[in-house]
Amino acid sequence: MQIRLAGIGGQGVVLAGIILGEAAAIEGLNVIQTQDYGSQSRGGHSIADLIISKEPIYDLMVTKADILVALAQLGYNSTKDSLREDGLLIIDTDLVKPDREYIGAPFTRLAEEKTGLALTVNMVALGYLVAKTNIVKKESVEKAIKRRVPKGTEEINLKAFRIGYEEGLR
Amino acid sequence: MIIRGDEPEQIGLLKKLYPKGNYFMQGDEAIAYGALFAGCRFYAGYPITPASEIAETMARELPKLKGYYIQMEDEIGSIAAVVGASWTGLKSMTATSGPGFSLMQENLGYAVFTETPLVLVDVQRSGPSTGQATKGAQGDFFQARWGTHGDHPIIAISPTSVEDSFWETIRAFNLSEKFRIPVILLADGIIGHTREQIRIPDPEEVEIIYRKLPANEEEAKYPFGDVHGDLVPPMPLFGNGYFTHVTGSTHKENGLRDVYTPEVHDRLVRRLHKKIEVHEKEIQKWEEYYTDDVEILLVSWGVSARPSLGAVIEARKRGIKAGLIVPKTVHPFPGKRIRELSKKAHVILVPEMNLGQMILEVQRFVRDEVPIISVNKIGGVPLTVEDILKEIESSAERSRHRSAD
Repeated sequence: MQIRLAGIGGQGVVLAGIILGEAAAIEGLNVIQTQDYGSQSRGGHSIADLIISKEPIYDLMVTKADILVALAQLGYNSTKDSLREDGLLIIDTDLVKPDREYIGAPFTRLAEEKTGLALTVNMVALGYLVAKTNIVKKESVEKAIKRRVPKGTEEINLKAFRIGYEEGLR
Repeated sequence: MIIRGDEPEQIGLLKKLYPKGNYFMQGDEAIAYGALFAGCRFYAGYPITPASEIAETMARELPKLKGYYIQMEDEIGSIAAVVGASWTGLKSMTATSGPGFSLMQENLGYAVFTETPLVLVDVQRSGPSTGQATKGAQGDFFQARWGTHGDHPIIAISPTSVEDSFWETIRAFNLSEKFRIPVILLADGIIGHTREQIRIPDPEEVEIIYRKLPANEEEAKYPFGDVHGDLVPPMPLFGNGYFTHVTGSTHKENGLRDVYTPEVHDRLVRRLHKKIEVHEKEIQKWEEYYTDDVEILLVSWGVSARPSLGAVIEARKRGIKAGLIVPKTVHPFPGKRIRELSKKAHVILVPEMNLGQMILEVQRFVRDEVPIISVNKIGGVPLTVEDILKEIESSAERSRHRSAD
């Protein structure tokens, strides 16, 4: 399973990728996680790649994504060709105008309205992705969030993740 | 703080700080933890992408283990500090990339000539010059071998995964200590920035080698002499009460300069070479996959070894007798083994992320007896299983035609 998360710098795309990867590792799956981003600290493209499998993994980067999660138009534009024709596209429906079939929700708006912090958009999107695909268990992601987010922000990140998860179950 | 002598305390610290188990981390971090488990307690460096995570990890962790971290003014100063620290007995390391590796070449030569154990990590990135600063590559194969001037031996090791980065860093330290020579760890920006699972062992599971020290005053008089007949002189450490002269100029066995006598230079440089040649078996390491009945032999290293193995496994499923050899020690190169394997092979493919570097070593040993084909990719994106499989299949196709003719 090849998953690509794409957005702009500052949205926490890479952290979401690391957390998903760690969750897969917790479950004993093989996982490879890489990233690519612009040199700007904010505003450039930002991509996190994951390959998750029960079998050994021999490729290091996503060759053809089964799932693409796009949180910003810039991220979508630069990665849409890497999504398989029958792949799953998940978008922030406020911020991305795609030219193919998709599912999604206004992740940034949800983050802002329900956690008071737009910054948690990465966790909202991650929750949605996990609910829709069951790549890993909800509990594994929650464990990974606690390990990886800055100290003191565990609760708000978990809250954002659960909001996205609930949205994905609808 | 040198581990020798205070192992019980250090092992306790390692166990407490990094309990045995599975971790999810980057290749760069695995190199740093490998160094800590190998006993490295001094790091001097200057940050550069994609090697900075090594410095970050060492800066954070070394003080917890009573080690030292210094951020230097540049790469020249970094390796100079590492040479100095090594002469006090601390296992020492620096890490850099691209232009930083070029800057370190002069003092790398100084370390070679003064037989100073140290580990220099080059997290290869796409060059020349500033190149693609954030992208990985395998373009420094020969810079590791010949980047510093003059006749000299070197040991260079290249890891193939995150977990391998941990263990090969430990091996780099051990070889460096055992043979009193700088060892280059040729990592790359892709594995360096890839996260995957790694198992951190108990410190007792890790074999650690220390450099030889002089047994007495008499031995300490010859810091560059073959005192024990194994070509590796014992190393008198600064601060242990000996008068030791260390110079990058040609020196006699007692360390004093003699840049005029041809025999002195000849004797020293030949001993340095012989020191590595006679211990080649211990230094070389490679892995082989499906080579028993190999017809299409792949020779690959570092980051390219992994998709190469994936391609070989896929080719076997399709009935093609592909096999793979992966040099882990890339210098000295395991050319003799590749020459042996080439006798069975119809063709040799060499996948690497450059325009053809290790392939020159393969050609040097195999000559024209078998066609040798480069499988290259540059631009910062790794070779894929599919890229390599395509080459294997067309080679298989060609050799079928040849045998039909």
